[in-house]
Amino acid sequence: MEDEDDGILVRRCRDGDFKAFDQLVLRYQKPVFNAAFRMLRNPEDARDVAQTVFLKVFEHLEQYDLNLKFYSWIYRITLNESINALGRLRPCEAISGNEIDESPGLEQQVENEQMSRAIEQALMRIQPDHRAVIVLRHFLHLGYQDMGDILELPEKTVKSRLYTARQLLRDVLVEDGVC
Amino acid sequence: MTEPTYLELIHASIDGELDEHQRSELASHLLAHPESRALRDGLKDVCAALEAMVAIDPPAQLRASILAALPPRAARPQPARRAVRWSAPAWRYAAALAGALIAGAVLYEARVGHGPDATEVSGTMARSAMRAPDIVDTVRLERGPVEGRVSLYRSAAGFGLELELVAGAPVDVLVAGGDQKLRLSGLGLPDSPGGARTTVALPGVGTSGQTVALTFVVGGREVGAATLSVPAGH
Repeated sequence: MEDEDDGILVRRCRDGDFKAFDQLVLRYQKPVFNAAFRMLRNPEDARDVAQTVFLKVFEHLEQYDLNLKFYSWIYRITLNESINALGRLRPCEAISGNEIDESPGLEQQVENEQMSRAIEQALMRIQPDHRAVIVLRHFLHLGYQDMGDILELPEKTVKSRLYTARQLLRDVLVEDGVC
Repeated sequence: MTEPTYLELIHASIDGELDEHQRSELASHLLAHPESRALRDGLKDVCAALEAMVAIDPPAQLRASILAALPPRAARPQPARRAVRWSAPAWRYAAALAGALIAGAVLYEARVGHGPDATEVSGTMARSAMRAPDIVDTVRLERGPVEGRVSLYRSAAGFGLELELVAGAPVDVLVAGGDQKLRLSGLGLPDSPGGARTTVALPGVGTSGQTVALTFVVGGREVGAATLSVPAGH
């Protein structure tokens, strides 16, 4: 992560430089969208969440503490917004195996990736808190300390939650006959 | 069932976080406990599959829709930074400098007499339109999703708009002046029709005090507005 650059961009945004915000969008739209997608498994909802995340970032830039890592802040907002969105969704929307077919681009990317699909489905069957640690560790590739910062939990708790999440995920995959 | 201590070591080994001593401790345990070995292998497979999942590209319109959805406060062109106008002394200096340059050019032409024809220099400009249009009002767009400037000019043919816009997504400009309403579409990108600069005639505009309202639209959302006016005396 180019944390220093993020700080510079944030300062420029605060000074009213719109292009700096555009740079932040360019830099973070992919991980934010992916994190939301892995949490929700619905590209439409993930897009809405990503949009909300960036709007919140824009609105609250003045309150953002420059001593903190920008990515920790934006990923925290992403997870919170995703969990909020989950609360608004009907369960069948979140766990249906067919949403991805509605988007040809996404469908193409995951076509024939049975394991990926199985994991996506299994992820939706574990609790959002557990899913969140999987997303942070395995999709955003963050270390325990960053995960702790984002989740506002001690590192030890993060580890414990991650281990449980992996175990639960494996159990679901075993139950589905994938493992 | 694997003891919590060893379970922790298994996860730490998957994350590559074991020291030499822990590695050897786990190895001894796995050798003696096939169920722990199976668990380790299963978890390793799950993690490998997670890591192998491909990151998905966000929808192409996501960035544009984010920028278009920003609050108008930031997106709206800032009236305080409106057209840069010459202050009176500066105007006088500029006029004096322009006069000196013109006089110098005329003298040079008269004495040397081998300069290119003005129409060659100015490309496709017709001889009758050699007089540059007068900019009568300008609005600058800064620090918003659309940047650049829009000027209201007066030429021999009448009033018109000159737009020079830069944006991350196509910009539509709604123009309302006099009885005229126009929609200029797809501006602001390098490959926009006519390039970065677009001009449009406003035949319905010409009376002193008359205004031209501009609305800037990106991704179907209004992101800013500005007004230009014909000053008194025109």
